[in-house]
Amino acid sequence: MNETSVQEAAPRVASSSASPAVDDRPVALELIDVRKHFGSGERRVPAVDGVDLSVRRGEVVALLGPNGAGKTTTLDMLLGLTAPSSGTVRVLGAAPERATANGAIGAVLQTGGLLGDLTVGETVRLIASLYGREALARVPEVMRRADLAGLARRRVSKCSGGEQQRVKFALAMISDPDILVLDEPTAGMDVTARRHFWDVMRTDADAGRTIVFATHYLEEAEQFARRTVVMHRGTVVADAPTALLRASLGERTVSATVPAVSDALVAALTAAEGVTGVRIDGDRLSLRATDSDAAARLLLDGGAHDLEIAAATLETAFTALTED
Amino acid sequence: MTTTVSPTMLRIEGLRQLRNPYTLAFTLAMPVAMYLLFGAGMGYGTLSAGNGNVSFYVMVSMAAYGTAVAMSSLTSLAATEAKQGWGRQLAMTPLTTTGYALTKLLTAVSFAALALVAVFVAGLLTGAEAEGAWRWVVTAALILGIGLMFGLYGLGVGLFFGSDSAAALASISMTFFAFFGNVFMPLDGVMLDIARFTPLYGFVALSRWPLTEGVLTTGQTDELWMLLLNVAVWLVVFAVLVTMGVRRSRSRR
Repeated sequence: MNETSVQEAAPRVASSSASPAVDDRPVALELIDVRKHFGSGERRVPAVDGVDLSVRRGEVVALLGPNGAGKTTTLDMLLGLTAPSSGTVRVLGAAPERATANGAIGAVLQTGGLLGDLTVGETVRLIASLYGREALARVPEVMRRADLAGLARRRVSKCSGGEQQRVKFALAMISDPDILVLDEPTAGMDVTARRHFWDVMRTDADAGRTIVFATHYLEEAEQFARRTVVMHRGTVVADAPTALLRASLGERTVSATVPAVSDALVAALTAAEGVTGVRIDGDRLSLRATDSDAAARLLLDGGAHDLEIAAATLETAFTALTED
Repeated sequence: MTTTVSPTMLRIEGLRQLRNPYTLAFTLAMPVAMYLLFGAGMGYGTLSAGNGNVSFYVMVSMAAYGTAVAMSSLTSLAATEAKQGWGRQLAMTPLTTTGYALTKLLTAVSFAALALVAVFVAGLLTGAEAEGAWRWVVTAALILGIGLMFGLYGLGVGLFFGSDSAAALASISMTFFAFFGNVFMPLDGVMLDIARFTPLYGFVALSRWPLTEGVLTTGQTDELWMLLLNVAVWLVVFAVLVTMGVRRSRSRR
């Protein structure tokens, strides 16, 4: 993961749907000022609070956010499983229920359940049969792609969490959808299964499938999504190309041991341009800096040693965006 | 909108219930076993009763019980499944709510019919008798027809009690109602007075009508309007239960 060149303190990527280049691919998913709240009266809880989002065909978008940020509710509305309290949701230009019913959109749900007493093969055939003959004919191929061929006769209840996740993935693929919505698709998978899953996804993305996925694994967003949307408390707090988001928000972290912390040094650092978050833990001083060289120089001149400079990750960007 | 019911889904649903030891025990094995125990196995089985013999009487009771259990437990299962994650999974397919309900109803009715056939075959083989073959046919039709009402009961229980225990609750409560509804053994006195108000009483008494024409083993007579009223009132109660269940399952998301 190399740094993309960021010349100067890049502006904070605020909630804007500014696509970097002119994109003339048709819009696949569209949310316009969508709100969703649960409960009523004093116990009214907003889950999604004014989200605008549009995803073009063939895009791969990661949806990040802490628990309770509104990711699952947003995806539910895209699938027509939950109706928004207000605002507009369109999938391929129509109501989401239509895309869901004709198999144009497929999903791996976080809370989607399987029937434990069915076998893996029965589960996939049952769902396939609801889409019709073509989907039924696709069963062997989808089973193979989801790496389930050897598990066809096993009861779902006897499958591990990762195996069940693969069953759900097969169900999402059975209608050969244009759009895939994945809510924490690799939860419960081990490292090998996760890698295999994303390999399959990559071929799909290359073939032009639109993919939107919510994840807790920042490296999945980093490695797989060209665009990342960060949600927090029901709103979109960032929406940008993943590389740009990482670079612009993830200032490098500079830390060093300072024998005697002098107020003058702290003052000098705090006053330096592009330095934020100066913190002292015991004799260890850490800060975030867009110009890490300058900060390092200040520290070394001030008598600091054991200097460490850590590259920006999406995690730091994520933390910066979602901390209160 | 083209197909509302998938034959594949029906077949898998049927297989599933055939594999379910619980369904098999309560809807198939238990009614047949009880018929053999209390009907054919007893010395009084060949005694005449109304337009047939006692074996036929017990056979009808047990077939009705099996039908009620099959309808209520399978529909309660359907309701709990729909509310859980599987319902979300199905909601993402072209399957409509009507299609789902129809599939589940067909499965439940098939099992009810299977339970009835099992008990009737056991009856045929062990000397249950009625005057005229039409009494067998009409009795079977009455059991399956009126037995549908317990699908409503199961649906209500399934919607109301979220967990998997709803199916167990539905079939165990059916057994309870059968004891106190003059189904398993003839009741008399105060017990009979109470029985007349229980949900299985009207159903079973109407099912026995071709045989007994309302005459009870104790010599008393049921009025037809009383039995119809029992069925009608319980239908309303079950419908209210379903409405409340729907409301409850919606408010709790």
